[in-house]
Amino acid sequence: MSEPVPAAASLAPTARRWTLGHTPQERLAYKLLLPVLGIVFVIVLLPFLVALISSLREGGDGAFVGGQNYARALRNPLLYDALKATGLYALIVLPTEILLGTGLALLVNRVVRSPNLRALIFVFAIIPIVIPPVGVGVIARLIYAPDYGALNYLLQLGGLIQQEIPWLSRPMTAMLAVASVDIWQWTPFVYLVMFAGLQTVPRESLEAAQVDGATWWQQFVQIELFYLRPLLLLVLFLRLADVLRAFDAIFVLTGGGPGTATQLLSLYLYRVGFKFFNSGEAAALAIMVLVGMSLLYSGVARLLPVERD
Amino acid sequence: MRHATKLMAMSAVLMVVMAGCGGGGGGDTDRLVIAAVQGNESEGIKALADDYEQETGVSLQIEELPYPQLYEKLVTTFQANDASYDLVMLDDPWMPKFGTEGWLQPLDSTYGFERDPDIAGVIYDVGTWPPPRGAVPPSEQGKEAHLLGITVVGNVEMFMYRTDLMDRPATWDDVLAAAKANDKGDVSGYAIRGLATNPVVADFLPILWSFGGDVFDENWDVVFDSKESLAAVEFLVNDLKAVAEASPETVDAADRSRLMAIGETAQSTVWPGEINSIVLGEGTTVDGKVSFIPMPAGPSGQGFGMMGNWLLAIPTAAENGEAAADFIRWMTEEDTQRLYAENGGIPSRTSVLNDAGLNEANPYFSALAESLAATPNWRPRTDQWNAVETVLGTNLNAALAGQMTAQEAVTAASSEIHDIMEQAGYYA
Amino acid sequence: MGRSHRVLKVVGWLALVVFALIYLFPLYWLLNTSVKGRAELFASTPTLVAKHPTLEPYVTVLFDRGYVRLLRNSLVVCSLTVLLTLVIGMAITYPLTRLPVSRRLRVGVLNWALSLRFLPPIAVVVPYFLIVRTIGLYNNPLALVFVYTLFNLPFGIWMLKGFMTEIPQEVEEAAYVDGATRAAAFRRVLLPLMAPGLLASAVIIFAFCWSEFLFALILTSTRDAQTFPVGVQGLVTQFEIIWNEMAAAGVIAIAVPLVLMLAARRHVLAGLTFGVIREK
Repeated sequence: MSEPVPAAASLAPTARRWTLGHTPQERLAYKLLLPVLGIVFVIVLLPFLVALISSLREGGDGAFVGGQNYARALRNPLLYDALKATGLYALIVLPTEILLGTGLALLVNRVVRSPNLRALIFVFAIIPIVIPPVGVGVIARLIYAPDYGALNYLLQLGGLIQQEIPWLSRPMTAMLAVASVDIWQWTPFVYLVMFAGLQTVPRESLEAAQVDGATWWQQFVQIELFYLRPLLLLVLFLRLADVLRAFDAIFVLTGGGPGTATQLLSLYLYRVGFKFFNSGEAAALAIMVLVGMSLLYSGVARLLPVERD
Repeated sequence: MRHATKLMAMSAVLMVVMAGCGGGGGGDTDRLVIAAVQGNESEGIKALADDYEQETGVSLQIEELPYPQLYEKLVTTFQANDASYDLVMLDDPWMPKFGTEGWLQPLDSTYGFERDPDIAGVIYDVGTWPPPRGAVPPSEQGKEAHLLGITVVGNVEMFMYRTDLMDRPATWDDVLAAAKANDKGDVSGYAIRGLATNPVVADFLPILWSFGGDVFDENWDVVFDSKESLAAVEFLVNDLKAVAEASPETVDAADRSRLMAIGETAQSTVWPGEINSIVLGEGTTVDGKVSFIPMPAGPSGQGFGMMGNWLLAIPTAAENGEAAADFIRWMTEEDTQRLYAENGGIPSRTSVLNDAGLNEANPYFSALAESLAATPNWRPRTDQWNAVETVLGTNLNAALAGQMTAQEAVTAASSEIHDIMEQAGYYA
Repeated sequence: MGRSHRVLKVVGWLALVVFALIYLFPLYWLLNTSVKGRAELFASTPTLVAKHPTLEPYVTVLFDRGYVRLLRNSLVVCSLTVLLTLVIGMAITYPLTRLPVSRRLRVGVLNWALSLRFLPPIAVVVPYFLIVRTIGLYNNPLALVFVYTLFNLPFGIWMLKGFMTEIPQEVEEAAYVDGATRAAAFRRVLLPLMAPGLLASAVIIFAFCWSEFLFALILTSTRDAQTFPVGVQGLVTQFEIIWNEMAAAGVIAIAVPLVLMLAARRHVLAGLTFGVIREK
């Protein structure tokens, strides 16, 4: 790479249309980028192609049978149970996390003045986020399990319940338990983002409003919310993406049970592919999920306040 | 650019090294990799590993996996035709699947194994595919029978009860009566092992059979919704549940054995492996107060023990076949079986089981020998058993949890199982 | 105004204390369970404080069960992934930020990177398993390295882009004026300035990699290639009463990424939000 480098002035990227290799820098750029991107692109495309081909074959590796695997996958009522469970999970988790996280951020912003304490809270908030999902699953198991679970023990100790609540064996409580894991782990994330956002609110606006006698609620709705709105969108979409993909912690905590109550989409795919070994049907499901997620992404991408330039 | 190239060269070297490090077990004759189930069933083999290494110089690498994952992992590995495992432990209900797919090497024709008269015939039967009696899947009929696995844990499901609380029950009605009498305070009359899929099915099948019910008949038609089968399910989810521990639908084997060990239940079924490790193990309060007997009889007039043997087999893809076969042979030798029993293993040799000395430490050995000689039942020999068991187990578990009635569970399970068998080509 | 303010303060502090408990207790419980002896686990009711704390569960997990090997595998796989991800990431980010690449291409690549956030790993595992099986990389750590690199690349690209755009081009241009080639400028000017960014990215990618579970579960079968999280999950079985070992494994699994992420905590938030929240 010993090309002559032009004078500094012409290094600024020029606003031109897509022409290939007119300047040495452009040629270099594409020489570097395209092979690497090309390889990455192929590696990314490969699973998709393999899944596509596999989904068109009987049992994943037999004769070509067209849409048979897709029809079978769509006919299975468990697929719709999984979609419903995922929807329910999202419905419980998302509003709770966002409301709690935002509320916490507002609270800390107003009530905690000391920068040292704020820094401490920052550190505490990072901890749940960085725990591996498997680890959170283990913690949750130790809390909710019958016999040795801490929750029942504490509730009984406090006289709140007489008999153990079988959290993991009733569908509704199991779903709540599983949702609580996500809420526990990710509310701090919402808190951190919202808290950072609150710091960008200009003090003068807030002080002016306080002088005018605005309550904290009015301050929030009229001033802070404006600055928080793009961040709200951001966390909404990031959490939505994660919630739709949820697997690890649920796998460890309930394995999809009781019955199929907590069998979210990812767990259902696992069951079809690796418990029942229907490779063809699993591949068909994988393709449908991939397409669905791509559509979802292209729908929401424009709204994401992320710099792509 | 030099830094970058140095970095890339380093990673390339590392990657080559790593590629060499991956996937063990192939062509390595001083090490045998065994895929085993995590739990008391593997305790015996683990204890003998050092002895084997001293005798033969071959070290044993025992990969333990929880029960459901062992099955999934074995299927995945076999499908990948991977040589990671030289030996595998399999639960006998998995034999139909593995046998049908041809994933195991024949021990009789390839390695010269023969039937030993000191080992109960049923042990060889359960390791033979296609099975020498009972219903045979349509696709397997006419295939030459081979011995594909040898029992290493001679499990037959038994019954246990507190001798200080009740008399020996001869029938399930006796069990229910005694349970009602003893169900008070901290103590439950009977401990149901009701966790979903394998646990609850394993616990329930002996009851199902003793009531005259079954899952399939000789032609693989589903009879789980017959009058007798329904009666058995109702017995479980209505009668027994009323005198059982709280939330039986979350209880697995270790949990119910623990209940017996700390004196909080009067009766339950039990697998031999749980006896010394949990029921009479460290922390027990019921030493000398528990007796182990074969399964009680039901309305059908008979009591049915159920086999749950763990077999050792050699995967088709394994490369150390001879070394693996040597190990299996060593496991069945009389001296090894004695050592095995002394270390918590469950032997399969009749003479070892009836040995007076060993019976002192393991009071259930002779009962076990008796059960084996009576030719216990085995689970339906279909390669679809995993799916069938999942369906049965999920529905039974839901009924136990009170989410459906016995009738609903039976109907739902029967129709789903019928679909599975139909799709698998059993009703051609 | 003053009284409602004080009430708000009291209620607010109370709420904070409650939250602190909700977050600290489960972690405490995990630690507590991990130091209990086996006999204590048999008791009818769990104990709030371990009666005879012991490190035996840790010893059993690491040595009797041989999980040290899994730790080693995790270490090797994660290190290689970090290396590969950063090298490829730089190869993509440098042209994207320092060279006149068409805007459409740049936006396209960044968009693609962002979209992978919406991809459920399980949907990729199914075909990936088939591929790995065919090329014979089953139960080989390399298979994990390739997959992890792929999944961490988007994150790497965003992190590196963020750091690189913060370094003004003038610094390199000064080097050009002095007669340096592009390669030399890259090596002697840009890289050293990127060092903290590279380090932060490396640490975070390592932590992500360490936590990965699904691919490791499906693509490996023996301890020669299995990573630590798979081992942790393997202990979560209700058939045996080994909750103390389960907890000990959980503690070890958590400790590594925790320490790493806390060390790089200023950049964690930027990484997780695709650069929207940048450290001040």
